[in-house]
Amino acid sequence: MRILITGGAGSGKSAFAESLAMGQAGPRCYIAAMKPYGQEGERRITRHRSLRAGKGFATIERYTNMDSLILPRGGTALLECLCNLTANEMFGDDGVERDSQSVFAKVTRGQDALAERLGALIQVTNEVGGDTGGYPDGTARYIQLLGRINRALAERADIVYEMVCGIPVRLKGAGA
Amino acid sequence: MILVVGGAGAGKRDYVKTLGWDDASIADGKLDDRPVLVNLQRIVFDNPEDTQALLEPLARKAVVACDEVGGGIIPLDRRDRDARDACGRLCCRLAQRAERVVRVVCGIPVTIKETNNAVE
Repeated sequence: MRILITGGAGSGKSAFAESLAMGQAGPRCYIAAMKPYGQEGERRITRHRSLRAGKGFATIERYTNMDSLILPRGGTALLECLCNLTANEMFGDDGVERDSQSVFAKVTRGQDALAERLGALIQVTNEVGGDTGGYPDGTARYIQLLGRINRALAERADIVYEMVCGIPVRLKGAGA
Repeated sequence: MILVVGGAGAGKRDYVKTLGWDDASIADGKLDDRPVLVNLQRIVFDNPEDTQALLEPLARKAVVACDEVGGGIIPLDRRDRDARDACGRLCCRLAQRAERVVRVVCGIPVTIKETNNAVE
């Protein structure tokens, strides 16, 4: 089972993703792809941790290379989020931009590898294409790439939701 | 309360008028006694730290309309990031309280939540 959840900032993606994960078989892992940058990053992570508290998730901080992450067979993983994972794979620690095609292949391959072992893979992504644009070339390529990754993963997903004001709007598949 | 969301220029205000409200009833980006408020996002962006106080007065409105501001690249400016998150979270809470939530896309109202006691 593959479920993709998209939506804008503050639309309630995390809380909904967690509630879906709670309905799937254990053991449950939370794959945190966001690097803790500075105070604000720490605050976001603390907020997400408190949302998950007591729900029985094992937290795995993993910023890249999902294809070599070995998780319990048949369990559930919630990956948050593809926008961070894609940025990490694309710009790395050195800030040098990787070729979009190779990042696309790596990210989609990594998600396929996770899904193959797991009973349920729940992926959170983001709508980064919905503003006025006008970004530097690297950022513009990132927006295009994440859009492509979202499309590829939606195609592979059994269910796709868009969160709007905390309301899950189902775009594909039958509800889980 | 009916919550109406959608991108800038999507047709939210025109939708509100189809519900029977006229300009005199519609407050624009300002919290006052009028039954309808549009451009809620302006109030949030003016004071993103204090959205909690908005919840009850907004829940008593007949209609609240807000731009969806959570799409796109994370803003560089810290205050814009905070305001964007605050606006999204406030809309999540308003949606919980709303009898109906309508998302307007290209002028088309898409009802994403409807309860039996929705009143226009």
